[in-house]
Amino acid sequence: MIIGEQKPLDEIKQMIAGYHKILILGCGTCVTVCFAGGEKEVGILASSLRMATALDAPPLSPPTLGGRKGGKEFIEATVQRQCEYEYNEEVADLVREADAVLSLACGIGVQTMNEQFPEKVTLPGLNTSFLGQPTEQGIWDERCQACGNCILDKTAGICPIARCSKSLLNGPCGGSKNGKCEIDPEVDCAWQLIYDRLQALGKLDLLTEIQPARDWSTSRDGGPRKIVREDLRL
Amino acid sequence: MNYVKELLDQIGLGGERLEMYFLSSAEGARFAEIATEMTERIRELGPNPLRNMEAKL
Repeated sequence: MIIGEQKPLDEIKQMIAGYHKILILGCGTCVTVCFAGGEKEVGILASSLRMATALDAPPLSPPTLGGRKGGKEFIEATVQRQCEYEYNEEVADLVREADAVLSLACGIGVQTMNEQFPEKVTLPGLNTSFLGQPTEQGIWDERCQACGNCILDKTAGICPIARCSKSLLNGPCGGSKNGKCEIDPEVDCAWQLIYDRLQALGKLDLLTEIQPARDWSTSRDGGPRKIVREDLRL
Repeated sequence: MNYVKELLDQIGLGGERLEMYFLSSAEGARFAEIATEMTERIRELGPNPLRNMEAKL
C-alpha cells in the first residue's frame, strides 16, 4: 500500500493561513490503513486545528471553537478513494462550500482533487512516504519502488531495487556485514535475505545467472509513466 | 499518551496538562497524592486558554 505520514501541525497551519473555511478530506484506502489520513485522523486533525488556530488568532478578533464568527471553520469528510473522480464527486458540494481543501490522501489523491476541482486549491496534509508493508504494529517498511519491470521471480520474492540501498542487480556488495547493510546496522542486507531464501528453497543456482545492465526506461528514467488498456477504454 | 501529549504541545495547550498513572483501588493514599500533584501543576499552568476565549464571547 501507499504509506503516508501527516505533516507537522505548524506546516499545515501555515498552509491554510489564507483560508477561512477548510474542508479536511480523508481517504478510506491506503492512508486509512496506515493511520495517517482516514476518518479518525481527519477528526483528530480537525479538532487540533480548531484549537490551535483559535489560540493563534489575534486577540482583537476572538476566534471560537466550532467555527463561529472570527475563527476558522473546518468541515470533515472522508471518501473511499480520493484518487478516483467518482468517489470525490460525493463531496462536490462540500468542496464548493469551502475556501480550500486540506487533503489527507497521498499525493495522487491531492492531484486528483486539484484536477477535478480546478477552481479550488487542494493542499497536502500528508507526506507520501513510500510503497510498503506494515511489518509490525506501528512499523512500515518500504517494499516496492514501482520500477515497472518486476524481477521478484529471480530474487526469491525479495526486491533488491527497493530493499538494497544501492539497488544492485548482482549483490551483495562489500558493505554487507553479518547480514546487515553498511548504511545502518539496523537495515537488513537485501542480498543476504535473497541468498538465505534461495538457499532454503534449494534454488541457489539462480544466483549464478548474471543480471545484465537493466533497462530503466520502465522506471522514472523515461519521465512520467502511463498505461493505456484499449480493451478497457470506452 | 506520548502521542496525545505531543499533539497538545503542537496545538499550544501544553502536553503537561495530561498525565496517566497506573494504580490499584487499594492505593488511596497514592491517589490523593497524585490528585494534589496534578491540581498544583494545573494551577501553575493556569486555566485552559481556549475556555477563556469561549467565555469572552
